[in-house]
Formats: sequence, structure tokens, C-alpha cells
Amino acid sequence: MATDARDHATVSELLGAWALQALPADEQRAVPAHLADCEECAAEAERLRATVRTLNGPNGNGANGDGSNGHGAADVPQDDAAGHPFRTGTGPLAAALAHRPPVPRAAPAAAPHAQPYAATVAALQALLAEADDAWSTEVVHGWTVRDTVAHLIAADEPLAVHLGLPAHEPPAHEPPADAPDDGGDWRTAWEARTRTVIAHERARDPHATVAVWRDRAAELLAAPAATDPELAAQAATLMGARLPVAEHFLVRAFETWIHSHDIGRALDRPVPPPPAGHLWRLVRLAVRILGQALGPKAPPVALTVTDASRTTEWVLGSEDEPVRAEIALDPVDFCLLIGGRTAPDTLPPGTGDPTAARTLLNRAAQLAWL
Amino acid sequence: MARTNAYDPKDRAADDAELHRRLVYGDEAALSEAYDVYSGLVRGVAVRVTRSAGAADDVAQEVFAHLWARPYAFDARRGSLRTWLTMLAHRRAVDWVRSEARHRKAVTADDAALHAIPAPDPGPDERVVDRERSLLLHSALAQLPLPQRQVVHLAYFAGRTYRQAAAELGIPEGTAKTRLRTALHRLAETLADPAEPGYEAHERGA
Repeated sequence: MATDARDHATVSELLGAWALQALPADEQRAVPAHLADCEECAAEAERLRATVRTLNGPNGNGANGDGSNGHGAADVPQDDAAGHPFRTGTGPLAAALAHRPPVPRAAPAAAPHAQPYAATVAALQALLAEADDAWSTEVVHGWTVRDTVAHLIAADEPLAVHLGLPAHEPPAHEPPADAPDDGGDWRTAWEARTRTVIAHERARDPHATVAVWRDRAAELLAAPAATDPELAAQAATLMGARLPVAEHFLVRAFETWIHSHDIGRALDRPVPPPPAGHLWRLVRLAVRILGQALGPKAPPVALTVTDASRTTEWVLGSEDEPVRAEIALDPVDFCLLIGGRTAPDTLPPGTGDPTAARTLLNRAAQLAWL
Repeated sequence: MARTNAYDPKDRAADDAELHRRLVYGDEAALSEAYDVYSGLVRGVAVRVTRSAGAADDVAQEVFAHLWARPYAFDARRGSLRTWLTMLAHRRAVDWVRSEARHRKAVTADDAALHAIPAPDPGPDERVVDRERSLLLHSALAQLPLPQRQVVHLAYFAGRTYRQAAAELGIPEGTAKTRLRTALHRLAETLADPAEPGYEAHERGA
């Protein structure tokens, strides 16, 4: 047969898509003419089409079986033609929801300041449910997955104790990090507490460690300060920072996210950043902490944080001088910088006075206590 | 390259990423949105394999329960939420039919029972054979390499053209075409030589 060789090459490549009716209309038209001419392609086409018919099964569904033009498979999702109404609503979802432990959460209307923490607890809880057999995978700072959870138990303790909850076993020798804050002492106490709790938890079943962390999180979220904005407005000095309790809840969210992010990387289960509304609360918290750390005399730098939906600018440092440099960052990068998970020299250097910009980025990186 | 319609996989990918983020962070409303967008497709896949609306409902529920309880099992680096959900539904549906077949064999060797459960309209023996051949192919489909399986799912179950599938998967159109053809050839070979693909061969043993 005088089959055009170019035609043959083109059409034979299309036969899989043709058999599945996955060709756009213009290409679909090119196939039958060639099949009439080319025995080789006709045989292959029939073989592949027969395979699709078998896949369709005895009733054929009429979707792919008849070789007609068009795009039959698109009809499949509607094959409720059998008389089964499309189900929406909460019926099947209620059963699906029961497959994940309920998230300990503060009442939504009452406690926006505790919502980001509740959400990060949910994210870490779900991650740890997928971590079975990986408890000894190394995460960060020489900690395993289990150690990282133990660290969170220790790190949640200052706020818990401040809110009147008991400290975790084993008892701390000294009051944990809410001891008088002068300079770096809280860091020493806090690191010692982390070591103690990690050592204690290493002797236990990892599931028990997770249960202690989760129960503690639930207690924090059930505390009056998690639901009462007036209580949450009272300032407390915890881990070297004097902030309203509401902000301390955000610090818990921040740290829980950063450690979830670490565990997710170690387990090759990437943890996405918190939903935008929560993420921006963390950005504002981080800006406040960074502003405090820089103090009122630092050379002023304009920091712009931008994501797909919004842009916010802050001027950090002295209010009495003109802005010396501008830095523009994505909210996730900024948080990871503050959390000590992104090195300043991997970020865009900013514009203006390079020393002023560098000072801000380095100071941000040094804040990391996680 | 002109698209055949206004479908934009980039928007869908961004929506999926946001949906997934909210699922990870325990937002129940995100699960109900995912259900609204994808349950029709998920049920459709399950109906095709199981031929049973009741089984398809069970499969859909399992799929969304899994999405909720194991949100990290979906990895946006390795495909869209749509293909992930249809692939999960497909695998669960194949498992359902297999366990149903095993159950029937265990309960009774009676042929009447063999006809009774999955086929709403019991037909002649040929139809039973056709159903077995169909299941054999679906089992083989569930075992195709991931890149091929993703394109087949988009073309066969989600009704995408190969061009749309290529755009959604971020691969060249020629690659999508080739993968569809290769995948169908593999399935055709399974039919020609059922012993080849492995474990389902034992099940058909009798």
C-alpha cells in the first residue's frame, strides 16, 4: 500500500490516545483514513481498542466501547445513571472524619489567638500518625523524631506552668524557663530541661511520648487563657520574651510548625506552611520579636513581606532616621529565617545599604531558639 | 499551544495545594470541599470497577477517610490531587472486587452465588468471563508504573485528552501520547498472557 510514511509515524503514535478516546477532535479525524490504508496500524488499533473494551467490562458503560468520535470517558463521573443520586452533604463525611483523632481546639469564635496553635497540633499529630517505625530517624540537632517530640514537651512547659498546669515528669530541679529573665539564663535552663525530658522519654514507648505531648497540647488549648481574650491579653515573661499570653500561644504555634517541618523533611513527608491567615499572624509575631531584638537605635530597614494575596511593610530600627535599606521576603522564608531554618545568605540581599540589610538578616537568624 | 478548552491546570494545582494545606492543618471544611469537587469522579472510577453503587459508596468513603486521616500520603510533588484520588479509588475498588471474589469462593462453590453478588443482572457464563478479564486488566492497570498510570487515569477516568493530561502533569505532549500507547500495550499483553503480571494469576487459578 502506498501509505505515506510521515502519516504512518504520526498516526501510530496516536493510537493509544485514540483507543482511549483521548484525542482532540482534529487529530481524531486523522486516524480512520490512515487505518483504512495501513494494515499494521489497523491491527494495532483493533488490539488496543479491544483492550479498552475489556477494561470497560461486559456492560461497556457505552463510554469507550464503540469507537465513535468524541470524548466518552468524560461521562464516567456521571454514571449515576444507574439511579444512585449523587451524594453530597455530611453523611459520608461524618464517617470519614471519624478516621482522624479529633483536633483539640479552642472554641473558634472565642479564641482566634489559639487557633494557629490548634492547627499546628493537628498537623503534627497527623504527621506522627504516619511516622510509625521511624521514631529513631534523625531530624535536627542530633534529635530523632521521638526526641523532637520530647523537646516540644519541654518547650510547651513554660506556658503550661504559667497557666497553672503541672510540669511534666521528671520534675525539673528548678522552675523552668519562666524563672527571672536576665539575659541568656532562660536559654540555659531551657536547654537543660530539653535534655532531661529527652533522656526521660528515650526510656519509654514513643507512642507514650506522643500521648504526653498531645495531652499537654489539649490541656493548653482547654485552659481559660486559650478561650478568654481578656486573660490572654495579660503579659507574661516566658523564655526571655515579655509578651501577652495570646502571643505566647502564637510562639507555641510557630515552634510546633518549625519542628513539624523538620520532622516532615526527615521523613520525606513535606509539611506545607500553615494556612495563610495563620501564617500571617506568625509573620507579625516574628516582626515584633525581631523589632524588639534590634532595638530602637538600629539603622532603620524597611521589611516587606509578600505572598500571592497581600503585601505588608514594616520599618524596623530607629524611627528618627531615613530608611537605609529595603528587604523583600516571602512569608515562609521570613518565618524559616526567624526559626533558624534558612541561612541569611540564601535570601535575596535587599537593596540600599548592604550593611544595614545584612545586620537585620543576621540578627533575625540569631534569634533562633528552636 | 492552543488548548481545547479553558481548563487551566495551574489554577487547579494552586487550589489543590491550598486544599491540601488546610487538610493537613485539620480544617474539616477542606474535606467537604474536596468531597464536593472529587467525589463524583472517585465514585465513577469505583463504579466502573465494582459495578456496584453500594461498593462505590464504600470505596469513596474509604478514599476520603484516607485523605483526611493520612493527609501526608498525598505528595503534590508527585502528581495532582485528582490523579492521586482516582488512583487510590481504583486500587481500593480492585481490592474490593478481589475480596468479594474470594469471599464468594469461600462461602460456596455454587455458580448461582457467583452470579448473584456483583452483577446486578446475572448473565450467561460469557459475561462472568468478561468480568474476570476486565478485573484482570484493572489489576494490571493498578500495577502500571506511576507515570503511565497517571496519564491513563486522566485519559480513561477523568476524560482528559492527552494534551490536557500532559498539561496537568507538566510533561511534554509527546510523552503523554507515548505513555498511553505503552500502557495499553502492556495491558494488551496481560490479556494475551495472564500468567505474566503475577499475583492475580493465582487468584484466577481455578
